[in-house]
Amino acid sequence: MSKHEIRLRRQKFGARGSDRFRNYSEVLQRHEREVRLRKIIRVFTFLFIIMIVVMLIVIVVRVEKRMDKKSSQIESINSSRS
Amino acid sequence: MSASTESMTEEEILKENELVERSRNDSRAFGELYEKYFDRIYYFLLRQTDDEEIAGDLCSQTFVNALNSLSRYAFRGLPFSAWLYKIASNEVNKHYRKSKGKKIFSIEEIKVRELVDRSDEDWDEEIIQRLLTYLKDLPTDMLQVLELRFFEDKDFKEIAFILDMTESGAKMRTYRALDKLRKNFSIKMKYDE
Repeated sequence: MSKHEIRLRRQKFGARGSDRFRNYSEVLQRHEREVRLRKIIRVFTFLFIIMIVVMLIVIVVRVEKRMDKKSSQIESINSSRS
Repeated sequence: MSASTESMTEEEILKENELVERSRNDSRAFGELYEKYFDRIYYFLLRQTDDEEIAGDLCSQTFVNALNSLSRYAFRGLPFSAWLYKIASNEVNKHYRKSKGKKIFSIEEIKVRELVDRSDEDWDEEIIQRLLTYLKDLPTDMLQVLELRFFEDKDFKEIAFILDMTESGAKMRTYRALDKLRKNFSIKMKYDE
């Protein structure tokens, strides 16, 4: 079965059939809306990335602190034994 | 208005590119391009959808997309319309992917008659029907090339750009389709000269 269909138009396309859809101000409005939306998405993405980085830093600092605490505890136990 | 295109001289292409450059910062300049090419893109889309509403929507989307990515437009020595045709072609493909329907090619009878140089007495309904059956059996990519070449009057360089292929690939595809057409119909094509 073919993937396309051929339709024959007996008449030429209407002389001013396209005028109904010609609206440059609407195209401009849609463009401005999309530009605004893209800016918002970019800002949110940037904030999200910053949030992730901050969270990672906090996690690393906490883990480091916990490890420091543990090693100091072990050291103190060792020193008390000796 | 029918969507026939006139070929542009190198000077006209360069002049048009100045307008494109201005359009990057001036929406009024882009308005001139919109007015110039709206009909051609609309009828190109109408030929591929056979639905005025869908063609109108896709046409608006084409120009919105063009405005959105105008900063990325790179001049390649081709008319600005080639870039618009490329965007429109992508929009049509997207539309058919979404709707999962069969791709439609709506062809005006007068264009089919223009394609084949044949004296009027030999030209009858049966030949038109046979020609349509032949076009229906062609692979879609071959038909796309034929459409741009003969119904939109695009040269091979532009076709290659619009369909993302090499110029020699576009030529080969067209000539292969035309060879088949000549064999099947033993008729002289308008473009044989």
